[in-house]
Amino acid sequence: MSPAKDALTRREFAKRAAFGTVAGAGGPLPPWGAFWPNGSFAGGAPQTAADAQKLSPQSLAEAESRYQTILALYPNRFSDAQKVDLKHVCLVTQHSIDELRSYAVGNADQPALYLKPLVEREKKTNAPPNLKSAAPAAPESAAPAGKAAVAPPKGSPEKP
Amino acid sequence: MLSADILYLPVSELAKRIETKALSPVDLTEAYLDRSEKLGPKLNAYACLTPEIALEQAEAARKEIDRGHYRGPLHGIPYAAKDLLAVKGVPTTWGAKPYENQVFDYDATVVENLRRAGAVLLGKAAMIELAGGMNYRFASASLQGATKNPWNASRWSCGSSSGSGAIVSAGLAGFAIGSETWGSIICPSAYCGISGLRPTFGRVSRYGAMDVSYSMDKIGPMARSAEDCAHIFAVIAGHDIKDQSTLPLDKAAFTYSPSLEFSAKPLRVAWLTNAWPKIDGHAERPLEAAAHAVHKVFPGAQKAKLPEGPFEAAGAVIVAVEGAAAFRDLIRSGRVSELADPLGQISGYVSEQIGGADYARALQVRGMLQQKMANLFDSFDVLVAASQPLGANALDANLETDLDFPDPLGGVGNLCGLPALSVPCGFSDQNLPLGLQFVARAGDDISVIRAASTFQQHTDWHRKHPKVS
Repeated sequence: MSPAKDALTRREFAKRAAFGTVAGAGGPLPPWGAFWPNGSFAGGAPQTAADAQKLSPQSLAEAESRYQTILALYPNRFSDAQKVDLKHVCLVTQHSIDELRSYAVGNADQPALYLKPLVEREKKTNAPPNLKSAAPAAPESAAPAGKAAVAPPKGSPEKP
Repeated sequence: MLSADILYLPVSELAKRIETKALSPVDLTEAYLDRSEKLGPKLNAYACLTPEIALEQAEAARKEIDRGHYRGPLHGIPYAAKDLLAVKGVPTTWGAKPYENQVFDYDATVVENLRRAGAVLLGKAAMIELAGGMNYRFASASLQGATKNPWNASRWSCGSSSGSGAIVSAGLAGFAIGSETWGSIICPSAYCGISGLRPTFGRVSRYGAMDVSYSMDKIGPMARSAEDCAHIFAVIAGHDIKDQSTLPLDKAAFTYSPSLEFSAKPLRVAWLTNAWPKIDGHAERPLEAAAHAVHKVFPGAQKAKLPEGPFEAAGAVIVAVEGAAAFRDLIRSGRVSELADPLGQISGYVSEQIGGADYARALQVRGMLQQKMANLFDSFDVLVAASQPLGANALDANLETDLDFPDPLGGVGNLCGLPALSVPCGFSDQNLPLGLQFVARAGDDISVIRAASTFQQHTDWHRKHPKVS
């Protein structure tokens, strides 16, 4: 198969993937030409197309926006091959973000302290027996006391 | 010169000989140095050796012990520290080209604690660049190149504590220190056929250690038995005023005495049925046998399931965002392009763009998961599963595509800061080591040590060593 024909076939594949996604969600077609340089695929692109197929149009648009932001911030930093790879990472990352967002989280669900269960277990142990089956007590504080909140003092590592 | 049989002895055995002066710390250090100089480069196991420090510390240990001042089970025992731990005056490269000339003027708390215990620093263990904090696709993602597995040099030792795993496995040191954000102690321990403890988050100080993910990084021992891990953990665990993420004094400190295990109440053990959605065909039979052995060693063992949810996604978002924050200067300056791995060169740019609301949501999901796991640990003390669903992969494998399998237990365990200990449990059809991991509630490190020690009292997989030359 000639490279040109190969490219066309792959482009067709991507179009089908895009339309399939859009048809389901009824959203606008993402600007593929902008998303893939030169409107065609370089190495690794079939994987990128497969990654894209998993996303809704909104998510695809978000992934593209993230990609465009990176290019705008760092315009001359990436080769064409790296740009394709960058898109792939944007799409894969978007998939993780979508998965995370799809999980039901309530307004009152507090961000975690890593060792909160340890603290709660002690509370449970110390609680009177008639309270053991009650709903868990609300976390003491949403503010992490650990390293996520306050960076430990460090030396002065040499700047790269 | 000491024989390989001596060099492969667990710390607990070496310590007995050193304490009774049947073995000189100087002779032991010289033998490990000699072996490390000869075999280390073949495996890409070390970032650097520190013979001057080692011989000085060994000589000091010998003199002290001769004077009757024996400090404890690590006194005179040579070890390697993962190259993300600062050692005063010695290059600390973090496994990455942009930091190849980095030298700190202080010791990491872990290194300092080991020095106080009389341990002997042989060198810095090779590692995956930035401990994988910028992501990586190939085993070659290291300033030292891909670390080869001592059991089969065409296979990888796993990362990011790749050198630590290979060093212990090849008998190049008595033990090593590794670190884990997600899988970096458990996987190399399994691939290399050694025992590795991932402590509860906050029990071991990270002062002087490179940050990958503020809320998920842990430092832990990699050694030849669970008991060895316990002895090392007892030295490195503890509150540190220089690391505010360490637990309070009473929760961080760890004391260990093997005799205490026998008086403790029986452990409630459960085999996890959904830790790995798929097991590699070469590993299936030995892992089934290992599961059978677990039920034999722990007769009341039951079956349990991990809660389901987007916990790997939450972990991935947290590691990505915290990693981008930790290496922001590297990304912004463009020097991230100096990393060896093609994925490492670009993925930080994407991580930097993940929104704060998504990060906060990941923390909320983490909180919900912690509650679910706390409920599970109300019924069981220790959960058991294969450390990895396969033996060591080929050195040139594309980790993104060839090893693209879910790791819910790694996600859950690291997201919640749970302790885990991986021990050898058999060999795949391709004669590659396999591991079992024991996981417990946060803070209950003693239970994973007890469970793994009990398993090792009934099995001898941890006594098997590769033939390296």
